[in-house]
Amino acid sequence: MTWRVRIADSAGAAAGLLVLAFALAWVGYKAFGAGFGVNGGVPDWIRVTLSGLTLAGLYFVIASGFTLIFGLMRVVNMAHGSLYLLGAYAAFEFQQHQFVSWGWGVVLSTLLVGFFGAVMHQLFLRWNQGQELRQALITIALAFIFGDQMLAYFGGAQHYVRPPDALEGNADLGIFCNTGGIFAGCLTFPWFRFVAIGAAVVVALGLVVVLKKTRFGMIVRGGVDDGAMVSALGVNIQAANALAFFIGSALAGLGGALAGVFLVIAPGEDADFLLKALVVVIVGGMGSLGGAALGALALGMIETWAPQYLPGAWSNYSILLTFLLLVFVLSVRPFGLFGRAT
Amino acid sequence: MLRALAGPGARRRRRLLAGGGILAVAATAVAVLAGTSAARSAASPIKIGILSTCQGPFAPFYPETTAGARTALIQLTGAKPKGSGATSPVVGAKIGGHPIQLVYGCSNAQPDNALKEARRLVEQVKVNILLGPLSGDEGIAISNYSKKQPGTTFVNGTSAAQDTTLHVRSPNFFRFTTDGAQWMAGLGTYAYKTLGWKNAVVIGDDYSFPYTQAAGFVAEFCSLGGNITKRIWPPLGTKDYSGFITQIPKSGVDGFMMAVGGTGTVAFVKDFSGLAGNVSKKMVGGSVTIDPTAVSALGDRLDGVVAGEPIPAGATGAAWQKYAKAITKYYPKVSPNSLFTAGYYDEMWGIVLGLKKVNGDISGGGKKFRAALAKVAWSSPHGPVKLDANRNAIADNFIVQVTSGGGFKTLRDIKNVDQTFGGHFSPSTPAPGRNSPACVHGNAPSWAK
Repeated sequence: MTWRVRIADSAGAAAGLLVLAFALAWVGYKAFGAGFGVNGGVPDWIRVTLSGLTLAGLYFVIASGFTLIFGLMRVVNMAHGSLYLLGAYAAFEFQQHQFVSWGWGVVLSTLLVGFFGAVMHQLFLRWNQGQELRQALITIALAFIFGDQMLAYFGGAQHYVRPPDALEGNADLGIFCNTGGIFAGCLTFPWFRFVAIGAAVVVALGLVVVLKKTRFGMIVRGGVDDGAMVSALGVNIQAANALAFFIGSALAGLGGALAGVFLVIAPGEDADFLLKALVVVIVGGMGSLGGAALGALALGMIETWAPQYLPGAWSNYSILLTFLLLVFVLSVRPFGLFGRAT
Repeated sequence: MLRALAGPGARRRRRLLAGGGILAVAATAVAVLAGTSAARSAASPIKIGILSTCQGPFAPFYPETTAGARTALIQLTGAKPKGSGATSPVVGAKIGGHPIQLVYGCSNAQPDNALKEARRLVEQVKVNILLGPLSGDEGIAISNYSKKQPGTTFVNGTSAAQDTTLHVRSPNFFRFTTDGAQWMAGLGTYAYKTLGWKNAVVIGDDYSFPYTQAAGFVAEFCSLGGNITKRIWPPLGTKDYSGFITQIPKSGVDGFMMAVGGTGTVAFVKDFSGLAGNVSKKMVGGSVTIDPTAVSALGDRLDGVVAGEPIPAGATGAAWQKYAKAITKYYPKVSPNSLFTAGYYDEMWGIVLGLKKVNGDISGGGKKFRAALAKVAWSSPHGPVKLDANRNAIADNFIVQVTSGGGFKTLRDIKNVDQTFGGHFSPSTPAPGRNSPACVHGNAPSWAK
């Protein structure tokens, strides 16, 4: 790397950090500049930040599966969004037919989608191992087929999954109480969204433990660095691939089953969430778990902070900020924040 | 082939081929003659393309739209449905001896996408009549496109931006449904007089249809003396509305008009109830907010919410019941109480009446047919429908409330609302937008007094 490139790189990084610092300072000023009273910016800051964390948690659960599969197998699974939607519909169906309780419904949907993904891998992707473009095209085709099949079977109507009674309704935080107006009463936040944030944290910790402490994790980490060497050492890489595809798909299914409660299940959501997963892993770096966490946090917070904190007339441009994030990160770190050239 | 010709017995084969060639030419000639004579003998098919959204935020409405259009065709032409799926066929539809062929197109609520589908249907499939699209921005794009295709007749689906007819005014684009502002007739009065609101906020998807809905609400609410404190426009397809909901001022606001549609409705209402409790009494709805797909998905969360709509959802009158029973008979999975079902039903009804007037004659690019279409008027399940000079419908509008248990109750019927909205809109007024029209007191429309 020549010194010219190095200076350009650090200038880019400095500009990126400067923008980030300015954005955080702006949010801080808007949130806390008017004091900490009920009429200040703090109650809204809590509302949008908690919402942003829920969204970030969901994005992380979905994107971590995506990035796990990519990290080990270099498969860009364009059907990941379909697996997400399938998980959501599965949780909904389990509830509609009252087969099992809500909790078991989530577990079963997760396993079902994991199994579905593993079968998809065995049937369509395994024999194309290493042919990245071909695999991407196959998964795009599958995404269309799954999308249409789900539309044919579940119809166009919107659905959502009802949480168990204990989690239905809002937590009354007992602070910043208003006496009148549209937001009359104390600060509230839906119980279930706390659960969703918790679930994302559990998934993150679980993945860290699996990757750092188990043999499978070792194989995955080795495979990310040098897949050919790992299989040369006599590791059954096919079994590891299958397991990784199972876990990665199951995470998409889990995301869908959880999102079914606090977002909406409808045709078209598959493409939307594939896009979100792509943004998260491109920002964070393909194949990096830490990157997925940071990318999900960035995307979730931007999506909820932007409408609240952009100057009034601009709040409808909030959606563009997501793409500005991409432009910024890619211009400074072309492989994402934690990504490495392959 | 060459090798076969060169081999033994080649001469015989060549003769055979020559014979085949002659036969083929003869067959083509017969076919061409048959084709032209068919056109004269009034047996050539009439192709109708149905364009609706099977992807994107309004995909839930796709089965409603196709069911509405096909039911009108079944009722008026004696055709028979084969199956009750979203695109299952209808057989035996004939007008003046011309069989009716249906072709389906699918868009995602984005104008570029709808235009691409319209082009495919008009230029490649060569439909004679295009029925659609569903969404506001799509409608503006298609009505502009229709000017370049004078030989095709365009009839709106449920797209309800004001511009589509009031400003674009394409001579071959017809809208037998009313626009999004007309759909709000009576709602400003309900908010101001019944709910006693003085200061309201508007929240809607950031594109032409919600702008049009807001225009109708703002014009009426302000004409009575109300004020609009803020207008908030989340992008279409927003996943989490928290950051928009918190922009509602914490004091000095009595309620808000909500025009977030499609999958956004469910997300918005869930987010709102998480942050600020029950929506009823705090919110009046845009027309799509209380679509049966949203109401059934949201359970009791929309109980008591009132909205403006072009249909008397849940009405018990004979005409509405007859329509509702027909929809349920042929397409049991579809709710008749959706403006999308009724909208596509009306548009197809208009088309068939027009075709019957000319006995199915769409020759010469359909000139005669369009002249007849402009004069079509009938008594629909929701009152009389006729077209104005810009080929936009003049029809009744309704104030509808969601009742507990997911039903509907019609509170008010406002007769013959036209696109000028009591003198508030004309081809020279600016298009509805994020900040227009301005909130002006006085000059209340006749139904608001």
